[in-house]
Amino acid sequence: MALNLTRRKFLQTASLAAATAAMSGCFANRATASTPFVKKPFTAPGSFADTTTAVGGVCEMCFWRCQLVGKVRDGKLVKLEGNPKSIDNGVSICARGNGGVKLLYDPDRLKFPMKNVGKRGAPEWKRISWDEALDECATKLKAVIDKYGPHGIAIFPHGSSAKYPMTFFEHVIGTPNNSEASFFQCRGIRDMAYVATLDTAPDENVDMANAKVIFLLGTHLGENIHVSHVKRYLKGLENGAKLVVVDPRFSASAAKAHTWVKIKPGTDTAFLLAMMNHLIKTGKYNKAYVEANGAGFDKFKAGISHATLDWAAKICDIPARQIKEVAELLAANAPNVSIHPGRHVSWYGNDFQRQRSLACLTGLLGAIGVKGGFVKGKGPKVGKSGWPKVNVEHAEAHALHLMAKKHQFSPPGTPTDMIRETAVSGKPYAIKGYVGWGQNPIQTIPDQALTIKMLQQMDFVMVCDVMPTDITMYADILLPESSYLERYDMIKTGTQWDLSGKQEQYITARMPLVSPTAADHERKDSVWIVNELAKRMGYGQHIPVQSELEMTNKILAGANLSVEQLVKEGGIHVQPGVDPYGAVLKVNFFSQEVADAGFPGVPTYIPVPEPPKGFARLVYGRAPVHTFNRSMNNAWLMNEMPENPVWLNDESAKKMGLKDGDRIELVNQDGVKSETSSVVKVTPGIRKDTIYMAHGYGTKNPAMTVGVGKGIDDQSLITAKAVDPETGAHGMRNNFVKFVKNGKVLSIPA
Amino acid sequence: MWHLGRGASFVNDTFQPPPHARLMNQSTSTNLAEIYRFLAQSMRYPSPDWMQADYFSALNTFLVELGWDGEAQTIRRAISEGADWLEPLQVEHTRLFVNAVPCVVAPPYGSVYLSADGMLYGPSAEKAKAFYREQGFDLAGEADIPDHLTFELEFLALLAEEGKDQEEELFLQNHFRPWFPHFQARVLQKGRHPFYGVLVNLIDFFTREEM
Repeated sequence: MALNLTRRKFLQTASLAAATAAMSGCFANRATASTPFVKKPFTAPGSFADTTTAVGGVCEMCFWRCQLVGKVRDGKLVKLEGNPKSIDNGVSICARGNGGVKLLYDPDRLKFPMKNVGKRGAPEWKRISWDEALDECATKLKAVIDKYGPHGIAIFPHGSSAKYPMTFFEHVIGTPNNSEASFFQCRGIRDMAYVATLDTAPDENVDMANAKVIFLLGTHLGENIHVSHVKRYLKGLENGAKLVVVDPRFSASAAKAHTWVKIKPGTDTAFLLAMMNHLIKTGKYNKAYVEANGAGFDKFKAGISHATLDWAAKICDIPARQIKEVAELLAANAPNVSIHPGRHVSWYGNDFQRQRSLACLTGLLGAIGVKGGFVKGKGPKVGKSGWPKVNVEHAEAHALHLMAKKHQFSPPGTPTDMIRETAVSGKPYAIKGYVGWGQNPIQTIPDQALTIKMLQQMDFVMVCDVMPTDITMYADILLPESSYLERYDMIKTGTQWDLSGKQEQYITARMPLVSPTAADHERKDSVWIVNELAKRMGYGQHIPVQSELEMTNKILAGANLSVEQLVKEGGIHVQPGVDPYGAVLKVNFFSQEVADAGFPGVPTYIPVPEPPKGFARLVYGRAPVHTFNRSMNNAWLMNEMPENPVWLNDESAKKMGLKDGDRIELVNQDGVKSETSSVVKVTPGIRKDTIYMAHGYGTKNPAMTVGVGKGIDDQSLITAKAVDPETGAHGMRNNFVKFVKNGKVLSIPA
Repeated sequence: MWHLGRGASFVNDTFQPPPHARLMNQSTSTNLAEIYRFLAQSMRYPSPDWMQADYFSALNTFLVELGWDGEAQTIRRAISEGADWLEPLQVEHTRLFVNAVPCVVAPPYGSVYLSADGMLYGPSAEKAKAFYREQGFDLAGEADIPDHLTFELEFLALLAEEGKDQEEELFLQNHFRPWFPHFQARVLQKGRHPFYGVLVNLIDFFTREEM
C-alpha cells in the first residue's frame, strides 16, 4: 500500500470493499446504531422569527429566586429576562441572572454519572451508566446504614433541588446529620435569634421602600444584589430615607450613606447595646410599644445599663457622639425605621447575641408592623408534597447537639462542626457515609484540612451537582444534575415588592425553559435520582411522587393551580393580596428560654480575639456579579470580575510599600498561605485593622477551567474556627492575615 | 491516471467521467458514508454493546488496508495487553471528552474551539444546525448540541450517502475543519491511550483537504 495514500485513493482501491464490509457487520448489536438525525424540510431562518418565549423560569444563580422568561431560538436558550408578569423582580434581573445562559452551555458541566477509579481528592473518572451508579450508591449507603445505623450518613445539601434528597435522608432514612450551608455558614443564627426574640424568622423583611431611616449592619446592598431586595432599598433612598451603614469598610452602601459608622469589626453588639441603653436612659424609645408588647424589659434595661456611649466608643473605636447621633436619628424617625436583620451573619462566633440585639432594637423602636419597619408580606397558601416522616424519632434520638446538650438554638439540622468532629473522632458514633447535593463544603466550611479528613475516613462519598466544584473531587460516585433552567423543582410565592403598593400575591413554579435531555449527556433531576435510589435501598413504598412535574402539580393543586394553568397565565399567577401592616409582635427583651439554656438572657457583648501584631482581620463579603463560588466558572461573570482585589488601607499600604494593583498573596496567623494570588486595592475606605475581599474565589478544581486559580480563596485562610455557642453555626471572621509580595512577608502596621 | 478528488464533479461542467468511474463514484459515496459512521461510532462511549472483537477486527482491517500498520499494531497491542481492556478505554474517554481532573481535555464540540468564550452552542454551532436544515435534516433531540463531533460525522455520512459531494465539501470546509484540528491536537498532545490518537488521525485523514 502506498505511503502517501489519500482518502479518495483509498476509497478507490479494491480492498475498500473488504474493509467496509467488516464495518457494516461489526455493529450488529450496537444499541446506538440509529442516526441522531431526522428528515426535515428546510425553512429559511429569520433572525428572530423562530424565537419563542418560555415562561416559568425561576432563577437560581443566587437564592433570591427572581422570576424569569427564556428567549429560546430553535432549542437554544439565547437570553434570560425578568418575567414581565412578575410583581417581585419585574422585568429586571441582575448580571448573574443574565449569566445563567453560560451555566447552561458550560462545557465543564457534569454530563454523565461517573465513578472514581482513582483516589478521593485526586480522582480519575470513568463514565458509568445510571443503573451502575445508582446500584453502587444504594449498596454502599445501605451498607453504612446496616453497619452504623441511619445516623452513620451525613448529608450536605444546598439549593431547592436538594430539598427532596435532604428530606429523604432525614425523614425516611432517619439521619439527623444534615448540614445546610445556608443555615450553619450563613443565616441560621439570624433566624434563631429572631425566633427567640420576636418568635418569627425575619428573612429580610424590612419595609425599606417606605422607611425614614434604613439601618444596615454589615449588609452591603449594591454589592449584594437581590433584585426586589435592592428595589426596596433604592425606593427608600429615592423617597429620602436616611441611610446608616455600620461597616469597617466603605462598602457600596456606605457610599450612599448619610452616616457611615466605621466600626471595629467584632464589636457591633457593644454599639447596639450602647444605642439601646442611651435611648432607654433618655426616654427616647417607643414606650407605648414596649409597655404593650415587651417581655423582660426591666431585666433587659438593668442588664445593659453598663453599656454607656463612652464604653462602646472605646470598644468599637468610633466617637461616642456618632453612637448617640445614630441612636437619636433612629428614635426621631421611629417607628418608621428599617433595622435590617442581615443575611449572611456567621461572622465572629458571638453572633446570636448581636442578632438578638438587632431584634431588640427593632422592638425598642416599635418598628414592627408599621410603614418602614419590620413587616412581613402576606403571601398566598399552596399545597404540600414530601417524604413521610418515617424515621424522624431515630434522627432526633441521635442528634449530636441534643445528645451533648449543646447549641440549643441550632437551626434545623445538626451543627456542621459537630458532624465533622464526630466523623473524625468516631465519638459518640461513626459517620461513614457522605451525601453531598449542590453544596461545596470545601469552600463553605472553615478548616478545609478537617473537612478533607472527614471525607477521607468515609466508607462512601456520593456527590450530586451541576458543576465539578471542589467537593466533587472527593466523590466515589459523582452524579450529574440538570440545572435550574432545565427542571421543575420549587414553588415560589410572595407579594408585590413594595409593601405599600397595590396589595397582590403571586404563585409561580420553576419550570424548564429548555429541554433537560440531549444526546450528549444524561443529566437527571433530583426527584428521579432519589426515587431510583430509594427503590434500590428498599424504601420504594414511601416515594411521595413519581416525578418533579407531579410534585410541582401537587403543591400547586393546594392553590387550585397547575403547571398548565401557570403557563396559560404567563408563568406567574397573580391574585389580590392582603394588607401586611398592623401586625404586632411580642418582644422578648430578656429571654428566659435563652437564660435557661445557659446563655446570656439579656443581649451581651462578648469580645472576640484581637489581631496579633503585624496582622489584620480578614473579612469577606459579596460581589455583585458573583454568588460566591457557585458562579466562578461562568464565562460572562468571570469576565466582569476575574479576581477578588484585597482591600488594604492606603496609609498602611504606603508604609508597607504596596501600590494599588500589586500582585500579592496572603498568609494567616497559623502560617497557612493562600495557594493563589490576587491584587491589592489600596483605599482609604477600610480600617487599618481590617482586610477585605469578596468570598468564593480561588477555585482549586482545575475541572472548572474558567474559575480555577483566579483570585484568593479566603476560606483556605479561615483555619481558626469559631463556633457560635447558642446555635453551633460557624464564625468566620476571626482569622488574621499578612501580605506576601514576591515571597516576602509584609507585616501590617497597627 | 484518473484521480477523483473532492469537487472533481463540479470543477468542470463539461467533464464526463468514464462509466466505470461513475460507478466507482457511487460506491465510493456509500463506502464513505459507511466510514463516517464507523468513525462516529468509534468516538462514542466505549461500551460492550458495540465495542467487541468484531469492531476491533474491522478497525484492524481498515487500518491495514490504509497502510497504517504501525497504528493497527499499537491498538492490537493495547487491546490484547490486559484482561480488562475496556475500562482503560472508558476512563480515557471520560477524561478526554466528558469530565476530568485536572480538566476535560478535549470537549468534542466545535464552538468550544471557535467561540471567544469557549462555551457550548456558540454561534458556530447554530450555523452548523442551519446547514443541517438547509440539507433537509434536523437533530432528533430538541436540545441536542449541533456541533458535537459524532453529529457532524453522522451528518457527513448522510451527505455522502445522498451523493452530495459539493455540500460535503462545503460542510467540511466551513464547519468541520475550522475546529477539528484544534480538537485533534489536544487529543494527540494529552491522550494516554493510543486508541483515540489513532482515531482522531483517521478522522483527520478522511476529512482533510486534499492537495
